[in-house]
Amino acid sequence: MLSNEIIFLADLIAIFSIYLIINLSLNLEFGFAGVPNFGKVLSVAAGAFVMGIVPFALYGMIMDYGGLEPVDDNIMLIGQINDHIAAHPETAIGVFAVTMIVAVVVGGMLGMASAYPAIRLRGDYLAITLLGFGEVIRIIGMNHTPLVGGTLGVSVPDMLSFVPNEYRFVIASVVLLAFAAAAYFVVSRFTNSPVGRLLRSTRDDELALRTLGRNPVKIKFKVLMLAGALGAVGGLLYASYVEGVVAFGYNRLNWTFLPFVMLIVGGMANNKGVLAGTFLFIISRKLVIYYNDALDGLLPFDIIWLDYLALGGVMILVLIFRPHGIIPERPQKTKSLEKS
Amino acid sequence: MIIIYDGLIYASVLAVLCVGLTLTYKITRVPNFAHTSFAILGMYMALIMSSVWNLSIYAALPMAFAASGALALFLYYAVIRILQKKKSSILSMIIATLAFDIFMIGVLNIIADGLRNSYQILSRDFTLRSLDIVLADGIPMVFVASILVLAGLVLGLYYLLYRTNYGMRMRASIENETLAQTLGINTRLIFCMSWFLSGGLAGIAGVLMTMWFQGDPSLAAIMLPSIFAGSIVGGFTSIYGAILGGLLVGLSEIIGTTVLADIFGYWIVQYRPIIPFVAMIVTLLVLPGGLAQLVTKQWSRRKNAKQ
Repeated sequence: MLSNEIIFLADLIAIFSIYLIINLSLNLEFGFAGVPNFGKVLSVAAGAFVMGIVPFALYGMIMDYGGLEPVDDNIMLIGQINDHIAAHPETAIGVFAVTMIVAVVVGGMLGMASAYPAIRLRGDYLAITLLGFGEVIRIIGMNHTPLVGGTLGVSVPDMLSFVPNEYRFVIASVVLLAFAAAAYFVVSRFTNSPVGRLLRSTRDDELALRTLGRNPVKIKFKVLMLAGALGAVGGLLYASYVEGVVAFGYNRLNWTFLPFVMLIVGGMANNKGVLAGTFLFIISRKLVIYYNDALDGLLPFDIIWLDYLALGGVMILVLIFRPHGIIPERPQKTKSLEKS
Repeated sequence: MIIIYDGLIYASVLAVLCVGLTLTYKITRVPNFAHTSFAILGMYMALIMSSVWNLSIYAALPMAFAASGALALFLYYAVIRILQKKKSSILSMIIATLAFDIFMIGVLNIIADGLRNSYQILSRDFTLRSLDIVLADGIPMVFVASILVLAGLVLGLYYLLYRTNYGMRMRASIENETLAQTLGINTRLIFCMSWFLSGGLAGIAGVLMTMWFQGDPSLAAIMLPSIFAGSIVGGFTSIYGAILGGLLVGLSEIIGTTVLADIFGYWIVQYRPIIPFVAMIVTLLVLPGGLAQLVTKQWSRRKNAKQ
């Protein structure tokens, strides 16, 4: 058996990796391009929902379910699929890859579609519209049972069933960390390229950009598509890590507000800042959750509400006293800048 | 009959909330995502007044107005003004209101837990409908009250904005803050009063809401999209547009759901929050300026015709 410390650490790394991916995607659209995506939860939930649907459909083609339905006979079916994964790791990797491609496509399309009504309007209208989309996906997920099991949710196949049970937890964290590292690498390369400067100029001065012959609306669409795809990957990884999808959990606090807090605490338009903010935030939150049993019973109310007070309060204080975060955005170093 | 009560009470509540939201948006250019939390505070004021202090529920109206107004003033003074002074972007102010909303979820839930533990009263999903007075013919008082509040709002705001000196100063400050300041208008006071008014109206809306529907901290998140939808349908710039938009969205939410449930079956009721969302999207696609745009278009047409 694994010791408590290792489980704590492994879980920390896993949650950190998942949030890092989501925060990087939010940084791409909000930090760099200035698109206020208050519906980040939309793409995260979309990725998770894909994880709750596509593997069942794919395994339905590979193996015989014997009349079992993915949502109604979820528990029985999961056992069968997990046995299949344990016996054939190679198909599991294939299924996971296909699921991820579907998630990327769905996330990207939703990212674009959700911005369509308001992308030509002022930023605050876009913010309101995106927030609305984030609410709608949760309402549909909670009420449309065939999708992901409605209020009860569904369990999803454990894609690491082929790993011996005692290592599964650690391996999952390593895999997630690898995904996060890859995402960090790709996003950093992307934002340090001329495209990164293009995104910043969309945020800073649309008029100047237009005079240079660029269309800000098109750039915003593209960045929303990209960030939506990356957010969906985050959601998919989260769903496969916790081995389940419950639509109720995809709320505004966890998947829109928390990424914003981490992003702003760390520093916007700055991938190192995102890294720092996510790390600091996840650790402090884990420790708070770990130790808050000590306070239980001393307070005349449920301890969870202190969490809300702290989160809202910290966010406001950071916005007032440290709006540029721990690591502020710096002018980008280009070759021509170094020469001069 | 019940659907008429449901529809009109809900629509009036929504219209009152939309007016407050539009007012603060016009002043600070910040869509206030914490606006519904003012209403929830009003709900708890009503619960405290009626169930703890055993007062008439109508006595809660002025109390809720004062309490929620004070809360709005606090948000304006402690958060938004400071951010404005630091020249923060509009987006960070929006995030600040979002953060204030999260903060208030904590506060309101602590109030709810405290009321339950200290006074053993139902403090979640509570309704004060049974405490309401029933008029002759079985008409609930809250129905009359919400219509009166709405009518009072329409007339009162018209009088305040267009028939008083103060209203003129208010319009001037909204129109052009710097110019108003050079004319010696205390724009800061006017903005504070407007935030207070906005919060106070939301508090009243909250009281009216609990007298017919339910009150719960979670309503803040549930009602927020409807209020934004109503305001955007109204144009988000005009007070009367907000009233019309709120009424339209509120009525279509209640009546639309009932009609659709008759046609498609009861399961559709759960999708009720999608109706205001659709109204908002359609407005943004077809008429981004909202209902207010229609009026101004006709105005300018008439003006052009005269010339």
